[in-house]
Amino acid sequence: MKKMTMVQALNDALHIAMEENERVFVLGEDVGKMGGDFGVTRGLYEKFGAERVRDTPLSEAAIIGTAVGAAMVGMRPVAEIMFADFLTTCYDQIVNNAAKVHYMFDGQFKSSIVIRTACGAGFGGGPHHSQSVEGWFMNVPGLVIVAPSTPYDAKGLLIASIENDNPILFLEHKALYRIKEDVPEEKYTVPIRKAKIGREGKDVTIVASMWMYHLALNAAEDLASEGISAEVIDLRTLRPWDHETVLESVARTGRAVVVNEAPKIGGLSADISAVISEEAFSFLKSPVQRVAALDTPIPFSLILEKLILPDKEKIISAVHKTLKKA
Amino acid sequence: MGEIETGKILAMYRDMCIIRSFEFALEREFKKGNVPGMLHTGVGQEALLTAIAHSIRKSDGFFPDHRCHGLLVLAGTPGEKIMAELFGKATGVCSGKGGSLHSADPSVGNFGDNAVEGSFMVTALGVGLGWKMQGKDSVVAVMVGDGTSGRGEWHESLNLAATWKLPILYCCVNNGYAISTPVGESHATADLYEFAKAYKIPSVQVDGNDLLAAYEATQKAVAHIRAGNGPYFVEYKTWRWQGLFSGEFRPPEEVRYYKEEHDPIQMTRKLILDKNIADEAHLTKIEQEVNARIEDWVNFAMQSPLPNPEKATANVYVGWEVEKA
Repeated sequence: MKKMTMVQALNDALHIAMEENERVFVLGEDVGKMGGDFGVTRGLYEKFGAERVRDTPLSEAAIIGTAVGAAMVGMRPVAEIMFADFLTTCYDQIVNNAAKVHYMFDGQFKSSIVIRTACGAGFGGGPHHSQSVEGWFMNVPGLVIVAPSTPYDAKGLLIASIENDNPILFLEHKALYRIKEDVPEEKYTVPIRKAKIGREGKDVTIVASMWMYHLALNAAEDLASEGISAEVIDLRTLRPWDHETVLESVARTGRAVVVNEAPKIGGLSADISAVISEEAFSFLKSPVQRVAALDTPIPFSLILEKLILPDKEKIISAVHKTLKKA
Repeated sequence: MGEIETGKILAMYRDMCIIRSFEFALEREFKKGNVPGMLHTGVGQEALLTAIAHSIRKSDGFFPDHRCHGLLVLAGTPGEKIMAELFGKATGVCSGKGGSLHSADPSVGNFGDNAVEGSFMVTALGVGLGWKMQGKDSVVAVMVGDGTSGRGEWHESLNLAATWKLPILYCCVNNGYAISTPVGESHATADLYEFAKAYKIPSVQVDGNDLLAAYEATQKAVAHIRAGNGPYFVEYKTWRWQGLFSGEFRPPEEVRYYKEEHDPIQMTRKLILDKNIADEAHLTKIEQEVNARIEDWVNFAMQSPLPNPEKATANVYVGWEVEKA
């Protein structure tokens, strides 16, 4: 065990994956000598060389296209898109190519790629460096979205993603890059498509991911002092997400609050809420509540940004609503 | 043409006939309603397609565009499996899930079309890079039309292929129009090989309807790439017979010129007769044999079963099933 930040845990995962399989290679903007904008690829260039750690121009479509093509001939590329907001510039490559290659050619090719990208708000990054993008990709069959919340999960999920044969969009929340915890130094994996119950409870289920998972844990702690027992689920995989764990929990607690950093309309929170209503309606003691960003772009000024984002108080208030205490 | 043996020219003529006959049969079956979706044909572009097919090896790869049905066959996939794919049948090369625009076959290096035209310009980078990293000397050919030269991926691809010295053969099929818009009216130049120069990629413009000129240029390009010198860009000037879905839109004199005076099939036929490589009877025999074979493929496609309903939900993910209802 070693105390690692999420950046270190991710870096460790890349070192292990590249040592183990020479077909794994990394490409993206400034991932080489500089070690990535957030330091996740640090030391790879020195250890594995320019052939396997490739600096690219600001050509996001080419980064993803190269990754898909290389996967089609058996390579295991890990592409970095510096900020998730920039995924719009390679959206076609992800949606129309990476996610469809396996299906449209009826299994003759695999698109075994990992697209790592830094997402999320909370630091004054403004409209183009702060977004939560999972909603943009929810409606894309064939694509998998993985989103760790802790350094331990980040390492295990990244190794599992690189070993997985599906195209994986791997979201790394910037607010979590510097959090620390004990992480094993050896190789291990964390299962994809499996949510985690991070805190057990009996009155209400709070479903969250990434930064929102930590806010939900904080909210649960405060609620405990009021005598409310909240169960907190970390989805870990956002698409296709783990229905079983969420529904089983809601069946026990009878109440659900869904937290998501993106706006409500057409997003992950809408899908989770809909599935709970469809599949667990008879267990619900009150309507599902959603806590999400307002329907606005992300403003720059921190005081404005805070206004539009979910926070601990909004989560607590949503839980009160499910208990009809509001 | 002294170096090209006469047998090779006859074999290439035969392949040109396969492309045309395949496309004519498709047009006919499309009108009858047997070919679903959309149909874009390569009639008029047979010489350059054949030149490319005869310049790359089975261990090489290619990304076909939407006017390449014949090339898919020339690459080595059994013709009936391509025909059946276009008919949406279970026996198709992608089990009827890809159709005209997505008929891939890895066993012959066919990486499939991407119907967002030009998008595979960057996918080819990955194939070239992967093979280079694996120490292979394979070349990947990208069939790309004039219309896609406005796409960002087109330029991103040329830049990175040149920077990384990737084994990519850019086959730019310039048939003059992006659907209805003349190339020169929407691009800085109508001579697209000039773009490649800016990326420091060796490039050449040839008459794509002249079989021997197209063949010679392609051979030279492939030799350059195979020797490890990085990408090469060949612009084939040609003309497509297919107009718009609403009909012909080009000037009558232009249509007459390309169909009567500059038709690659007639040009190659004339070359063979003028050089006494074969006589009229021999060529007619080749054409009849080809036509009969294509009709066999059509019959195979017609008689093939429709895909099993389970195919609709198969191969979405590797290793995971999706809901079936």
